[in-house]
Amino acid sequence: MIGEIARQEWEYQRDRPFGRLVQLFVARIFRGGGDTDAEGLDLGVGLVLTLLALPGGFVSIFLFDKYGSLLQWLRGQTNVDTLLMAFPDEYFFIVLSMTVTGAIAVWRWDAIFPDRRDHMNLAHLPVATRTIFSANLLAVVFLVGLVAFDVNGASCVLFPMVVSASQGSLLFFLKFAAVHAVGVLLSSVFSFLAVFAILGLLMAILPPRFLRRVSAYARGLVVVYLVTLLCTSFVIPELLRRVKGPAPSWTLLFPSCWFVSLCQLLRLRANPAMAELAKLCVPGITLLTLFAFCVYAIGYRRHFVQISEIAEGTSVVHAPLPWRWSVLEQLVLRTGFQKGCFRFIGKTLLRSEAHRLVLTGVAGLALVLASQALMRAFEGMKSAPQAAMTSEALSIPFVVSFLLIMGLRIVFEIPSDLRANWIFQLMLDPDQECEPLARRVIFVSILPWLLVITFAAYLYLKGPVVAVLHTLVVATWSCLLTNVVLIRFRKLPFTCSLPVFKQHSIVILISLCFGFLIYAGSTAEFESSALSQPMRMLFLLPVAGVTWYIPHYLGKNTIDLERKLIFEETTTRTVELLRLSE
Amino acid sequence: MLEAVQLTKRYSSLPAVQDLSFRLQPGQVLGCLGPNGSGKSTTVKMLTGLLEPSRGVVRFNGRAIQEDLASYRMHLGYVPEEAHLYPYLSGWEYLEMVGTLRGMGRDRMYLKIDSLLQLFSLHVARHASIGTYSKGMRQRILLIAAIMHDPDILIFDEPLSGLDVTSALIFKNLVQALGRSGKFVFYCSHVLEVVEKVCTDVLILRKGVVIAHDSVANVGKILGESLEKTFLHLVDDVDTMNVARNIVEVMKAA
Repeated sequence: MIGEIARQEWEYQRDRPFGRLVQLFVARIFRGGGDTDAEGLDLGVGLVLTLLALPGGFVSIFLFDKYGSLLQWLRGQTNVDTLLMAFPDEYFFIVLSMTVTGAIAVWRWDAIFPDRRDHMNLAHLPVATRTIFSANLLAVVFLVGLVAFDVNGASCVLFPMVVSASQGSLLFFLKFAAVHAVGVLLSSVFSFLAVFAILGLLMAILPPRFLRRVSAYARGLVVVYLVTLLCTSFVIPELLRRVKGPAPSWTLLFPSCWFVSLCQLLRLRANPAMAELAKLCVPGITLLTLFAFCVYAIGYRRHFVQISEIAEGTSVVHAPLPWRWSVLEQLVLRTGFQKGCFRFIGKTLLRSEAHRLVLTGVAGLALVLASQALMRAFEGMKSAPQAAMTSEALSIPFVVSFLLIMGLRIVFEIPSDLRANWIFQLMLDPDQECEPLARRVIFVSILPWLLVITFAAYLYLKGPVVAVLHTLVVATWSCLLTNVVLIRFRKLPFTCSLPVFKQHSIVILISLCFGFLIYAGSTAEFESSALSQPMRMLFLLPVAGVTWYIPHYLGKNTIDLERKLIFEETTTRTVELLRLSE
Repeated sequence: MLEAVQLTKRYSSLPAVQDLSFRLQPGQVLGCLGPNGSGKSTTVKMLTGLLEPSRGVVRFNGRAIQEDLASYRMHLGYVPEEAHLYPYLSGWEYLEMVGTLRGMGRDRMYLKIDSLLQLFSLHVARHASIGTYSKGMRQRILLIAAIMHDPDILIFDEPLSGLDVTSALIFKNLVQALGRSGKFVFYCSHVLEVVEKVCTDVLILRKGVVIAHDSVANVGKILGESLEKTFLHLVDDVDTMNVARNIVEVMKAA
């Protein structure tokens, strides 16, 4: 009965202009934004929603180990305060919810507001601009609700189930679930609105010709903030629990503290600082909502209603500085193929928003992990030269190089308007130059500044011998890692379709995690003990030799067919017909 | 009657169109010609109400269109220069959306969409996403979207771009038929032969100023030559043969 009424209402609304516009904007936010028809990361609504729901569900399941009463008993944990135990995990869920929702808002940044395509398709139709405004606003509100529900749906059910597993009380479960749901849903909404407000503010205050450039940096900063927020989940719960007296000022920078405090307050577990922070939630969300909608209205007026005027204007573009490229070409690149493609790769990395965003995220993660390592190095009031020789400090360039090399390798796989790759398809690559080209791009982008900083820092702190040795190890390891990640690489970066999900992708992901531990952790541990006796560094030579030989051997044993430049990732067939009779 | 009275548009004090005036009677097909940057697109945007003129007014049946844009647009069919469509919608879905936004009844809308898709040879691909359409197919979708609600005014901005020979021929005949059936047709194009064949009148713009406005036959008579030669004489100061020779020389240069 209700279903029938809902269906009829839906049918009725679909036939109304407003309902149709809302439907269009919801689809557009999920599946298309920006002014071009460029092929990007269009994953489809179903897959996006599934991917968003996965982290919360997986994390909840992994926590069974911590809260299972039998496992607690086996570990000798009796009289456990479940709510106290759940506090850091709840904080993690709040941070996860904020990060994922914020990341979605950043990802769909260009699609949240009506753009030139909408203007061209809708403005000449007999629909008032305020109707378009209201429909898009409703679509955004719907999206906020949908994303908040989707990101937190699994954790709202599974996490309370896991926590209350040892309690055996339905009431405890229901109470815990309700409070948890309030915390994570509000934090999700807050995160989305915050990104929405930043975008609206930029649109409201910036002239259109600056907007695109500035918004790219703003998105990058938001990504770095979200990564930082996620990394605070290991530190902040403990700090919050120990606060005596009023809330410290740094908590204002992390709204996640407000929402976890609200949960604690609702459970009657809040200390005075938490009680103070919890009171910020409702006014914070209300003010943010009002602010976001105000700047949205101003931004809409400035950028959508007047888009015709903007489109007609031509922007002044400054001539590039040719000397930067020519210096690189003389030093690093040899053939015409390499020179042409290197410029294309460099400019795509500098100008394509999707590629810059992924790289910014990876760089942000590298920055956060490096900062954490630096802080750990200084623990115990060590002096700078003492801290420099700890494995934590020594691991910093390894952490940075690993993440940036992997980040670049991943970014190479993201296509940049495949319809434009015909120019590369017409080119010949007889000498299989893709792999050397990709290697040069990685080297040029990462090694010079990383090695200079590493060398200068250690020269100042520990003298020339340690500086040379450490820099040499970082350089060698970076080169070897680059060789490994480019095994059988036969594409021009950005010109090939996205790789399909393969069965061994999960194995690769797990190998990456182990690889990171060995590359950054174990090498730094070894260096920490060996740098005092430089001859011990020779033990690294066989490791380096083996790591160099494997890609070299695989490269030598690749048949010509496997070296051929490709522009499309195809799945390997499970069964191949030999067609011997033909 | 559709009337433009002393239309002027300035972008930060630079004039794009200056004192443009013309009248369009029912059944008249007015071609608008001009090189790049002559103000054609700005004129089209002012006629569709997408741009507000800095000075002057567009009147439809004696009433300024800016007074009630929504009702003016009920009478308007527009094919924009660029086929920016939603690539994730199918052709059918896009037309259904446009029909709904124009307030067409469902049965009438479906009947028209179905018939027009067949006539424009798009019926087979009607449920494929527009992202997979060729440029010509997208252009045909735009044409259907512009005419499906039987508008009184039709404004075409480079409508032939990407169309195959058959579709282009159909379109040329369609424009003439629309004119004969009493519609107001404003036709912007670079293709002089088409304007010569399908338009009753022609308006030539240069640097935002009207330099010729008369019937196609009369404009041709100015120099006693074809419209193409007249156009080049009036508009372009460029020696096209010389430019072509220079291009070949640059190509061959070591």
